[in-house]
Amino acid sequence: MRKIKFLALKEIRHILRDPRSLTIAVLIPILMTLLYGYAINLDIKNIKLAVMDFDRSSESRELINRFYNSGYFAPADEAAVLLAPEEVLRRGQAKAVLTVRYGFSASLVNNESFTLGLMIDGADANTASAAASYSEVILMQYLADRLPPGYDMPGINLSQVVRYNPDMKSSHFFVPGLIAVILMMISALLTSITIAREKETGTMEQLLTAPVKPIQIIAGKVIPYIGLALFDGLLVWAFAVFHFGVPMTGSCLLLLFFGVIYVIAALSLGILISALVRTQQLAMMAALVVTMLPSVMLSGFIFEIKNMPLILQGISYIIPARYFILIIRGIMLKGSGIAVLWPQAAALVLLTMVLLGIAIKKFKLKIG
Amino acid sequence: MRTVLALVKKEFIQVLRDHNMLRLIFLMPLIQLLILGYAINIDVKEIDTAVYDYDQSRLSRDYVRSFAAGDYFIPEKPDDIELMDLEQGFTTNRYRAALIIPEDFSENIENGKRAEVAMVFDGTNANSAGIAMGYSGLVTQQFALRESGYKPSVEMRRKILYNPDMESVYFMIPGIVVTLLTMLTSMATAMAIVREREMGTLEQLMVTPMSTPALILGKTIPFAILGYVEMSLALAFGIFWFNIPFVGSWTLLYALAFIYLLTTLGAGMFISTVTSTQQQAMFFAWFFMVFSLLTSGFFTPIENMPEVVQHLTLLNPQRFFMTIMRGIMMKDSGIAELYPQILALVIFSVVIFSFSWMRLSKRVK
Repeated sequence: MRKIKFLALKEIRHILRDPRSLTIAVLIPILMTLLYGYAINLDIKNIKLAVMDFDRSSESRELINRFYNSGYFAPADEAAVLLAPEEVLRRGQAKAVLTVRYGFSASLVNNESFTLGLMIDGADANTASAAASYSEVILMQYLADRLPPGYDMPGINLSQVVRYNPDMKSSHFFVPGLIAVILMMISALLTSITIAREKETGTMEQLLTAPVKPIQIIAGKVIPYIGLALFDGLLVWAFAVFHFGVPMTGSCLLLLFFGVIYVIAALSLGILISALVRTQQLAMMAALVVTMLPSVMLSGFIFEIKNMPLILQGISYIIPARYFILIIRGIMLKGSGIAVLWPQAAALVLLTMVLLGIAIKKFKLKIG
Repeated sequence: MRTVLALVKKEFIQVLRDHNMLRLIFLMPLIQLLILGYAINIDVKEIDTAVYDYDQSRLSRDYVRSFAAGDYFIPEKPDDIELMDLEQGFTTNRYRAALIIPEDFSENIENGKRAEVAMVFDGTNANSAGIAMGYSGLVTQQFALRESGYKPSVEMRRKILYNPDMESVYFMIPGIVVTLLTMLTSMATAMAIVREREMGTLEQLMVTPMSTPALILGKTIPFAILGYVEMSLALAFGIFWFNIPFVGSWTLLYALAFIYLLTTLGAGMFISTVTSTQQQAMFFAWFFMVFSLLTSGFFTPIENMPEVVQHLTLLNPQRFFMTIMRGIMMKDSGIAELYPQILALVIFSVVIFSFSWMRLSKRVK
């Protein structure tokens, strides 16, 4: 135990002596939190819409007003209406162009068929499909409100309730997930580098000749980073709760407990990487490819796992962040307890044990 | 000129000899392209919806069926006793939405009264919840209109330009190409310079009768070339593997890429002046990357960001090159359409490159 303590103290001194890396380790989480909390917003609102109204009637004006008052569409630049619709889209002056030909009001009154034109910039597929369906809703509503006499429309009142995130804030979705990403980043990246550094500088041999067991070396190396990772996690958590107002409906203790397990899983990955590579540079690259990229892209942090091809869905099962993201969102937003979260918890624990086992075995082999 | 060439040659030999560097340059981008190309998908569809139909009439069944049309919702009657509890369905992530039809639904409609229906959404993912709300409103409206027997006389004909099938991948691949180009050129330049310093060979180069500009050019030209190789590889992969169309001018794209490369090489040079080890350089470059990636409009539209952040994105050259790349690839945009972006990029490249050049010159002397 005393030996581990000394090794840990030595490691802490290493960390503190390199203020630039330490700054990065603290600064990156804060900046990433602000960036993800504010900048990343997948809501689609204010789609720029240019309107060419050749009908110029009160009916056409009302329809156009409905588009702009819906919140989904916003007026495009004034100059946009002077060009052909294709040209407007190509110059990026608007994302969609609505054309109301002459005769719109007349056909409404006479109940004759009439076609409106909507040209959409499909480059951004997501915005395009939103523009398509929102415009449909607005037109439908407009027509329903001026149903000709003799038709009775069944009134259906659809009351919509949003649970867990009633204000529908993107930050409530991203910031808890970010904790998982940052814990992975600090734990896996920094540990893999620190062990690779000892190897690169040749001090690993010195450590191994000292009367300490490999497991003690690992423990001494890893404990300071558990502290650093948990500190970063706590920092982001505090930001989430106090700055972004993400609710904390579940149990703090449970979250901390799973946080520690997740950090151990991440550290095991870091140790495993460092046992397999020799240089810091390689360790860093491997850590980025094996831990960071999947934790951001394949964990459900931003993109839904359900929408991915089957192979990637399969890969996502061995990514620890996948489970921790479900756990942390469940605990923070939904107040889920162990009764609900046990499948994720069990998977995470199992994965951690496997990773830790492989890491220790590989590490031993290397020295033997 | 000859000294520069010799240095360029040396740098190439060094890069090609280093297998890790080669992997960094060629393998990693392809893996990223593959994973990102498939994983990045923000379409909202097939929302698992629990249906609690207490009415069980023809009308209510029709209404539920209209939810199944299109691929927005997958309505399902929870068969598990446990899932009869709405809360349970949400917390176990089995359902994203729930539709509750009370027992007087059809009775009210037949008597001409307003029928009440409730829909509950899991708001954890605010984005998909919002879109699901929009869809459910649309479905209800359409159902009501159909039931009234009125055939709307006005219809909307939609035409979707540039990407008629609305494939996200067409939008994402050009973005990934820009990201890879940025990452590789800035990171590799920074690390190549810092490595010379770390190993002490920079001093050796400095005592040779070589001018400082020649030294810097010799260090940057190889990475500009590598950047072009990388971009061509990634584009080829996008075009042949993901079948994305390329409708614009290759010449224009490659010419503008040169201006953009000046900014990323400049950023790499700058990073090399503020760091002293490769590890720090990598950290720094990576940090720049994340920031520049997230504010470039890569996967979230800039118009949706808060105003302060929108102004911040104007400081990001990647934002402008992203627009250029997508414009040329998807819309056949030319200089006439892209001149604001081109102008911004030129200003950035002059400022960043000359500033970093001066800083690095001072350090090298």
